[in-house]
Amino acid sequence: MNLVESFKSALQSVRANKMRSFLTMLGIIIGISSVITIVSIGQGGKEAITGEFQDIGTNIINVQVKAMDTSIETRDYFTLKDAELLKEKIPGVEWVAPSAEGRGYIKSDKDSKFAMVMAVNEHFEELMHLELLEGRFINQRDIQNAKQVTVIDDISAKAIFGTTEIIGEKVKVSNQSKDIYATVVGVCKNVNGGMAAMFGDNMPGNAFVPITIREKVLSNHQISEMSVTLTDMTHSQEIADKMIRLLEKSHRNEDKYAASEGFTQLDTINSVLNIFTMVISAIAGISLIVGGIGVMNIMLVSVTERTREIGTRKALGAQNRDIMLQFLTESLIICLIGGIIGMTLGVSLGLVVGKMINIPLDVSPLVILASFGFSSAVGIFFGLYPAQKAAKLDPIEALRYE
Amino acid sequence: MIIQIENLKKVYDTGKIQVEALKGVSLGIEEKEYVAVMGASGSGKSTLMNILGCLDRLTEGKYILDEEDVSVLSGNSLAAIRNKKIGFVFQSFNLLPRLSALGNVELPMIYAGVPGSERIKRAKAALERVGLGDRMHHKPNEMSGGQKQRVAIARALVNDPAILLADEPTGNLDTRSSEEIMEIFESLNDEGATIIMVTHEQDIAMHTKRAVVFRDGSIISDKPIEKRKIRRGEIQA
Repeated sequence: MNLVESFKSALQSVRANKMRSFLTMLGIIIGISSVITIVSIGQGGKEAITGEFQDIGTNIINVQVKAMDTSIETRDYFTLKDAELLKEKIPGVEWVAPSAEGRGYIKSDKDSKFAMVMAVNEHFEELMHLELLEGRFINQRDIQNAKQVTVIDDISAKAIFGTTEIIGEKVKVSNQSKDIYATVVGVCKNVNGGMAAMFGDNMPGNAFVPITIREKVLSNHQISEMSVTLTDMTHSQEIADKMIRLLEKSHRNEDKYAASEGFTQLDTINSVLNIFTMVISAIAGISLIVGGIGVMNIMLVSVTERTREIGTRKALGAQNRDIMLQFLTESLIICLIGGIIGMTLGVSLGLVVGKMINIPLDVSPLVILASFGFSSAVGIFFGLYPAQKAAKLDPIEALRYE
Repeated sequence: MIIQIENLKKVYDTGKIQVEALKGVSLGIEEKEYVAVMGASGSGKSTLMNILGCLDRLTEGKYILDEEDVSVLSGNSLAAIRNKKIGFVFQSFNLLPRLSALGNVELPMIYAGVPGSERIKRAKAALERVGLGDRMHHKPNEMSGGQKQRVAIARALVNDPAILLADEPTGNLDTRSSEEIMEIFESLNDEGATIIMVTHEQDIAMHTKRAVVFRDGSIISDKPIEKRKIRRGEIQA
């Protein structure tokens, strides 16, 4: 018996027991579809994050106060002078964006919105790739004159005013015990816009104020981070070292600061994401094994049910390998059909979920190929024992079987 | 001689007890013979049929089928012999329920590696030969017992075997269908087929030309059939 015949025969048998075949496939369908969904979303997520990092810019070094260090004192925190110092004294530094932030609220007399309040300078717009919808961002004059102005995000604007056309409106920006009235000079897209689906209504808003008024707005107004852009990244490590030495010298301390490039963080996030994807895929893979056991189970039932058929086939001249091939193709077909359905389902599910959390789906052909390979492997592996059992049946006993 | 058996012994080893199902049987069957193998249950006739059909192996002795010593063969070689040289007709038809009459008749040719188009041609011819030209695409559950057995006969014939082995072929049939089946066998024999039929019914054996009677693992009589003698009950099972 050749392969074509055994495929025909196997398809016939799968069709003859539609419900049973489907239920058996279900295990494979669930296994394959979950692996594909997870891997695709994981891959897509990784690319989205990489993309975002590349957006933010690869020519950025973040200088931070080691916040975990309990010996940090007030005098160790950065000052605006530090920012100027870095720009003046270190060649290769393009601009410096110090920032301080705290959780707070944007309020009008009507409504209020939970928001991240950030005291920043004029470079922050470029640093964060802010998309301005109305007005302008905080500029140098606002900073020099310590003007009580603010730029808020579109989500907060809509939540409080119902519109983004609110230039000139006064809002109260508060953080813990501090609050000020500030004039809205601009409305930008929410910084976390991409995560909107995850946060829903609880998405925090953004309120940017000039860094020079941070003491009025923020309870904890220390500057713990500065983003520094370089004109050229080739000597970034040396420049970072130089910056830290300069800061240490000016604060007369040691080992309080750390510098990191955007990419270091990217690597960390990627490896976390990889582990995450791998772990969940492994769990989904287990469901594939469970599905395979289901296939084996049903094939054993099928062999018992068809003992007489096997006896008849043997009497008519079927060799052991013909019987083996027949049952093996049957479990292979169940798993392959299950794999195809699972793959379709997985990709569609990935598209839906990806859309929901705003991650572009990345279905690599490798994943599709692997899922085919995997379901075939499951089919053959778990079909082997039942097929062998069928092939080894004694023709006389099989013919006599009731 | 198409079948030649010498001093055939079959012992079933059930652990403690050894059961001798055949105690040194010798039998020769010529081409174009039509033989009834008779005997009560436990007489050894089924064991003989299994060995003749190459479904079982003998313990001792010699079995030559169509000039080939099959007593030395095993497993897959026996399967090949069954495929080419033996046509089986079973008491309970043993048709595959999911296949049409045509599909069932095609089966032995599938295992023989006959290409598809020729398979269909030959299967159709075999079905027409047994008078089922108009039932080719029916499934077994859409056919009567007699029709099913005719499909089985077509299936047995289709590889042009050396012998046709029928095991109680009318056991599950009513009298009318039994007569039909016996007529087919007779005409096949007239055309030159060698037929060996196990039966315990005398009026069925009456259709054959030679009766071999078994008792306790040995042949107790082997005579040509004279129809009037059976009627008088002179040949006993």
